[in-house]
Amino acid sequence: MAVETKQENNPINWLDQYGDALFRFARVRVRDSFAAEDLVQETLLAAYRSHEGFSGQSTVKTWLTGIMKHKIMDYYRKLKPEHSDESIDDFTYSLDNLFNEHEKWKVKPGDWGGDPQNVYEGKELMAAIDGCLADLPEKMSLAFTLREKGGVTTGEISELLQTGKGNCWVILYRARMLLRRCLEVNWFGKKK
Amino acid sequence: MRHWMFSCKKITAMVSESMDRKLPLSRRMGIRFHLMMCSLCRRYQQQLLFIRSVLQRNMEADEISGQTLPDDARKRIEQKLTDELPKD
Repeated sequence: MAVETKQENNPINWLDQYGDALFRFARVRVRDSFAAEDLVQETLLAAYRSHEGFSGQSTVKTWLTGIMKHKIMDYYRKLKPEHSDESIDDFTYSLDNLFNEHEKWKVKPGDWGGDPQNVYEGKELMAAIDGCLADLPEKMSLAFTLREKGGVTTGEISELLQTGKGNCWVILYRARMLLRRCLEVNWFGKKK
Repeated sequence: MRHWMFSCKKITAMVSESMDRKLPLSRRMGIRFHLMMCSLCRRYQQQLLFIRSVLQRNMEADEISGQTLPDDARKRIEQKLTDELPKD
């Protein structure tokens, strides 16, 4: 059955060669380091168990990364089986409130001043951002985190969240609007 | 010319979307046209880009990009894989 040589099919070799790359790939896509470690293990096990699936048309690394993407999707499915869109729609009202009936700004964006002056303030600002993200609906903060902290494309986020790209752009828009407003009130508002 | 005129609310959505994909030329022109005249939407865009840059700088500081699989995890996974290999 298996045509490849034993050497090529050895998952220990894959671990040696691609373990770090797979770990980094997972690390920016899931919340904690332990989940990322588990994903590396699951990916290599699945790859070994199905190695006849490797067509040889892509590189081993691309093949393993493809398997890992599916494992990450499984991870999200298990994490929140009831990802619902309702909680996201609940926030539409508060967004509409930022504009008047002519769709002009009613709650005007304030002046935030310059960049954080030093690392310490940068860290505090990060904490403020994380605090605001924690108040958003799970799916919204997840999409935002993947996009802005992980640099994941909306195409991939739509796969992970099992939703259309158009919906992803809407989710990210609402996340940015709410986060921006939250920071204005809770961080920049209190600094002055 | 009228399709160039977008409301502030519409522009905020388009500015956000432009951070996720390349918008068609007509929309990019629409944004540019609106931002030229609207200081509030300009400020909004700067703030979104500021948040993005803070997060990216933080990512770089965290050095996630240079992270490696921890040794204990590597040993654990190696053991698990060894258990799977046929013994001969």
